[in-house]
Amino acid sequence: MTALTERQQLAYVDAQAADARVNVELETDEGMILNLGPQHPATHGTLRVTAKLDGEQVVWADVVPGYMHRGYEKLTEVRTYPQVTTLINRIDWLGSFANEVPFILAAEQLMEIEAPPRARCIRTILFEMARIANLVIFLGDLGVQLGAVTPTFYAFRDREHVLDQIEAVTGGRFHPNFDRIGGLKDDLPKGWIADTKAVMARIRSFCDEMEDLLFGNEIFEARTRGVGVIPAEVALAYGLSGANLRASGVDWDLRRDGGISGLAHDEVDWKVWTHPDGDSFARCWVRLQETREATHIVDQLCDGLPSGPIMAKVPRVIKVPPGEAYVETENPLGAMGYYLVSKGDLGPFRVKIRSASFSNISVVPWVLKGVYVPDIITILASLYFILGDIDR
Amino acid sequence: MAEATDTAAEEAQAPRDEEREALLAEMTEALGDAVVGSHVAPGRGLWLRVTRDAWYDAVETVKLRFGFTFFDFLSGIDWMPSPWGRYEDAAVDTGIPRPDPDAPIETGVAGGDTRFQVFCRLADVRRPAPHRNVVLKADLPDDDLRIRSIVPLFAGANWHERECWEMFGITFDGHPGLRHLYLPSEFEGHPLRKDFPLLARLVKPWPGIVDVEPMPDEAAPGDGDTAGGDA
Amino acid sequence: MGLVESGKMPKPLTSLLNTARKYSLWAYQWGLACCAIEMGAAFASPRYDVMRLGVIPLPASPRQADVVVISGTVTDKMVPSIKRLYEQMADPKYVISMGSCTNCGGPYWDSYSVTKGIDQVLPVDVYIPGCPPRPEALLEGIVLLQQRIGREDMADRWRGDPLVVQ
Repeated sequence: MTALTERQQLAYVDAQAADARVNVELETDEGMILNLGPQHPATHGTLRVTAKLDGEQVVWADVVPGYMHRGYEKLTEVRTYPQVTTLINRIDWLGSFANEVPFILAAEQLMEIEAPPRARCIRTILFEMARIANLVIFLGDLGVQLGAVTPTFYAFRDREHVLDQIEAVTGGRFHPNFDRIGGLKDDLPKGWIADTKAVMARIRSFCDEMEDLLFGNEIFEARTRGVGVIPAEVALAYGLSGANLRASGVDWDLRRDGGISGLAHDEVDWKVWTHPDGDSFARCWVRLQETREATHIVDQLCDGLPSGPIMAKVPRVIKVPPGEAYVETENPLGAMGYYLVSKGDLGPFRVKIRSASFSNISVVPWVLKGVYVPDIITILASLYFILGDIDR
Repeated sequence: MAEATDTAAEEAQAPRDEEREALLAEMTEALGDAVVGSHVAPGRGLWLRVTRDAWYDAVETVKLRFGFTFFDFLSGIDWMPSPWGRYEDAAVDTGIPRPDPDAPIETGVAGGDTRFQVFCRLADVRRPAPHRNVVLKADLPDDDLRIRSIVPLFAGANWHERECWEMFGITFDGHPGLRHLYLPSEFEGHPLRKDFPLLARLVKPWPGIVDVEPMPDEAAPGDGDTAGGDA
Repeated sequence: MGLVESGKMPKPLTSLLNTARKYSLWAYQWGLACCAIEMGAAFASPRYDVMRLGVIPLPASPRQADVVVISGTVTDKMVPSIKRLYEQMADPKYVISMGSCTNCGGPYWDSYSVTKGIDQVLPVDVYIPGCPPRPEALLEGIVLLQQRIGREDMADRWRGDPLVVQ
């Protein structure tokens, strides 16, 4: 063997020491600090959770976000309106199209433009398909957090079909950048509606499969029932939204209650699912039902798609009149809104992005108090977050 | 009553929003002198500007008396026009004049007197009562960027205030721990302030909004300052 | 092992060893952002199925890995962890940089918190462009890496200065 140089030896020692420091810090008198992340399979993303343990129980827990902070709010100030949608696609990267919608609606509000009915419907279809693409991953990932790997393969298998349909319309699997101020970029391709309905049927059978595989499983029940209970008042004070709030028994869905004119949810027949328990199981269950409900919304909209143009009359160079608008929609992860401040320029003056996961995860230090170590994982999984949506 | 309500004067012929106006009247009455500005955008939203000293009490009143229990978000805004413009160096982009840094600061709806404002949005999500919401704003004087924390009222404000502190340098009195949220602790500056430069843009000028790269055989359009790659 | 150290490895033996190495890559996933999902699709989805290329995803720790796929936006806060990860891997080690953000900063080229390219910190073997690249692009990147490994001279690899990250 060739001898190690001094520098290599030092690097080795340094790495060893760093390793010991990072993974588990042992503090002899006051218990132990367990560090999960920033890159840890259990946190599905670069979230870092530090928990002080007393035996198996968490004394306190802290969340360190920011490993994926990309500075969206600053960057939107130096982009034009059409460029902003390219950027904000990437906030919640599993349901990308849904990110564009509230921003476009806010800009439309300030410009006093309404999208034509056909554009509204197609927008809603894509919005709901983004939800499905997002929640299917949740259902698959849920199994992994509990030690069952099979659901992931099922999820990725069926998600591909949804992505194919999104790609057929928008040209992008992930980041469609398809929504425009005043309508949509393009119309649907031929034969798309029939294919989409077939895919929706597939997703429904996937949901049935998941229900059989996971929700009836006694290990799953034992690990999620009564774990991580969040009462409604706490959920509201922390600004939880989406399925996390509905699982705490608050019957509030912006698709129904938000009074959003740019989407066509009021034209179809659907139901808001709630669960009274507020535990991990309730959150997972509500999301499962929502995935199913979304397929029904897509089906109905596909049947009643109005004809007509897909773009309103919009000036060639987009300048948004001065003013402030806030539009919030019910995105796959919860309420997502853009507070848009315009000064009549080519780009926004300030955009405050209210992302769902940021508020949803801020409850973690509260909810982790007193739980057991394995439950950290199920609680984080059931709260469901996307790192880009926390860190922006 | 409020001293400066710009609602009535501004939009005489615009569609009216009776529900929000009734809510505004109720809130103005409940908050009294604390309200220094308000705005109703029909069908879109309600804005109330309160004094800095009354910030905590205003949030408390809106939460407890009006039942706006859902904490949506809290953030800040810097109304100074950016001294860097929008980094439009290319000739094609100069259609829009660069903001004059000495011009008086223009603020948004519900008015404002200072460069920095804090705003938060609260909502009432009970059913079957309709979904109601309000945006509260407060001005902060430039030489004293601090305001009382609302964490005792809404636990969820904790992270939002930390973010606001990090991004704007606004201190929240009574906050349980103003630590860095997103950025590494050694980070200097407050990125969302308008005078925080984006260094990448300063060292490499933006080539232009429209693609003006000349074709290989063509001469460059204009006098040559459109291509930005050589700086 | 003496053969490798002395640099007198016969060609056929080198190519035999390289073939063995290139079809048993253990790939550690350093999934950071959007690209991680496409990487997940390539690694976990039955449609793309990376294992048919002889790549085993999901090793338990970087110490078992031959190649790391860094996919997604690298922020300045994240860089120290990535460096440490790289230091933990055993030689010979390879890096695939997946997606525009990892390559050069991508859409966040002007951001105040994003590192403009992981190649400022680690030596990268294969760059995969795209935002995000399709799973097929990642598969092609892996094939390119395998070609590179196949052509490697073991003696060079042994004698060459080991890569120490500053």
